[in-house]
Amino acid sequence: MSENTVMAPKKHMGLKTSRRISNTAIYVLLAVISVVWLIPFICILLQSFRVENTMPVGYVIPKRWGIDNYLRLFQTDFPKWYLNTFIIALVSSVLQTFIVLCMSYALSRFRFKGRKLLMRLMLILGMFPGMLTMIILYRVLADLGMTQANAVPGLILVYVASSGMLYYVSKGFFDTIPKSLDEAARVDGATRFQVLKKIILPLSKPIVIYTVLTAFMSPWGDFVFAQYVSMGASAGKNVAVGMYGWLNKDQIANNYTLFCAGGVLVAIPVTVLFLCLQKYYVEGVTGGAVKG
Amino acid sequence: MASVKLTGVKKIYDNKVTAVHDFNLDIKDKEFVVFVGPSGCGKSTTLRMVAGLEDISEGTVEIDGEVVNDLQPKDRDIAMVFQNYALYPHMTVYDNIAFSLRLKKMPEDEIYEKVTNAAEILGITDYLTRKPRALSGGQRQRVAIGRAMVRNSKVFLMDEPLSNLDAKLRNQMRAEIILLRQKLNTTFIYVTHDQTEAMTLGDRIVIMQDGYIEQVGTPTEVFEMPRNIFVAEFIGAPKMNMIPTKLTRSGDNYTVSPFGARLPVDGEKRELLLEGDVGSREIILGVRPEHIVLADSASESSIPCTLEVNEMMGSELHLHVYTEDGTRLIVRVPTLNLSSAQRSGLVAGARLNITFSGKVMHFFDAESKLNLCCGE
Repeated sequence: MSENTVMAPKKHMGLKTSRRISNTAIYVLLAVISVVWLIPFICILLQSFRVENTMPVGYVIPKRWGIDNYLRLFQTDFPKWYLNTFIIALVSSVLQTFIVLCMSYALSRFRFKGRKLLMRLMLILGMFPGMLTMIILYRVLADLGMTQANAVPGLILVYVASSGMLYYVSKGFFDTIPKSLDEAARVDGATRFQVLKKIILPLSKPIVIYTVLTAFMSPWGDFVFAQYVSMGASAGKNVAVGMYGWLNKDQIANNYTLFCAGGVLVAIPVTVLFLCLQKYYVEGVTGGAVKG
Repeated sequence: MASVKLTGVKKIYDNKVTAVHDFNLDIKDKEFVVFVGPSGCGKSTTLRMVAGLEDISEGTVEIDGEVVNDLQPKDRDIAMVFQNYALYPHMTVYDNIAFSLRLKKMPEDEIYEKVTNAAEILGITDYLTRKPRALSGGQRQRVAIGRAMVRNSKVFLMDEPLSNLDAKLRNQMRAEIILLRQKLNTTFIYVTHDQTEAMTLGDRIVIMQDGYIEQVGTPTEVFEMPRNIFVAEFIGAPKMNMIPTKLTRSGDNYTVSPFGARLPVDGEKRELLLEGDVGSREIILGVRPEHIVLADSASESSIPCTLEVNEMMGSELHLHVYTEDGTRLIVRVPTLNLSSAQRSGLVAGARLNITFSGKVMHFFDAESKLNLCCGE
């Protein structure tokens, strides 16, 4: 009996109280995770302002602060690498987004012979690691004169060429947009392309943003392909490949803080891009289109 | 303003299922034609073929004399209202209605005039700046109609536009569509599964089943002279009672003998049977619930039965009765004609006598299910 009396208040705990407790627990956990997550970034940021020496050291807070490391970046090939990376990422993301969205729309809306076979084939092909194609890709790019110092167009070609296979996510999203909207627009006088541009894409903002972000970020941070295609020619390197050179055993003592400063600059565009675009993630906009 | 002609139209899907068989119909300029039938009868598919949203497997569709089989929907000069409204959710009501006009690159001031004019007719002027999600079902359907209205198209297609609305709103919108039709004065093709909508809206009704046209006619024609049992049961609510019995001809006189009663056939029906030289045979006798009356006492022409359920509908009673052999029939009795004593006697288990006149009977051949008075 006494046990029952003790249990009673717990059993009747108010909905508000229980929600407050679970929310508090969740927020504390999230706060801890985000702090752990941010520590390396904060370390790199602080190290980039350390000017007393350029070696890796055993402390985090600089003894002398300054922007020397950032100024030194401009005396190296860093601006060239940065520009290379920016051009590759920008062009690839524009082309890749266009191709992925067209592909997804076609696979979502058109019914043609071999459609399912094509989708299955791409799914299976996508399961092979891209690295497998590296040697043959290099051969092809070398024949086209798109390696080493000319690696930028070569890399754009590599990143864009396979983008049609990334249709799954956006096709899945397009499938959720009622077909009758397409039909209404076509009856209203729109061409298929106008339907995509004026109806489907505005309704698919979250997925378009997702496509742009992923299409921008994967070339932006790529190392393996970029290293391989540029083959040591500084003019064809991207930031990841170029900066990796500073971490060699014989260079790290001179360039460690330089590397940190470069790392901070590399993070800026992606952060800005994400901050600008993230608000579109918030809400889907299909409410009220058709009777639910 | 245009005529629409469908000749031998067929729809065969990739999985070899035939949704529409040999559909032939001539829709006159400014006519309001309703396609009606149960789900899956091919009515929406036919409409979508006219709209250009489905390929035509065989046959031709002509709008205003021009074959449009290979024309894109945008080139057919049609307007369409969808069952689920299909409003563009990211646009305001104004932009939704203006969408087609902007695609035509019409000047903005002209668009403004057209949109506000349509909004006024439909009573949605106050909602022009709202997004569809902030509207009720009825308002959304008005916007959808407005979007179709401003285009001044040759043909106005409506695919079950009222079926997502509640009963009260449906009645109201039905009346508004009749008014709209008078204002627009254009050719309408309207698809519905609701026979009341078909009867009230259509100049002509096309009744379909399993991809075939069962009958084409005015509301009065299909109600009074249904071509077969399917049409007879589909049109009218509650549906027509069907009684298997025998039609006997002696000389120029016909009698039917449902449940042992002897009922003579007279009036126009007798003339039509004579015209078709119909002999004695097994038939299905059709009688509408509103044509059956309660007899005061048992007689040669009355059928004894037992009351099972009494549904009070307000202005009338729907009496579900069963005869001695267990056949179930429905009788519609106006409450106005009943004394309170009579009404209180209509309880489950009550014994009743019913009868009907020879003028209101429908005679269907027991085998072919066709109406014997239609001369086929």
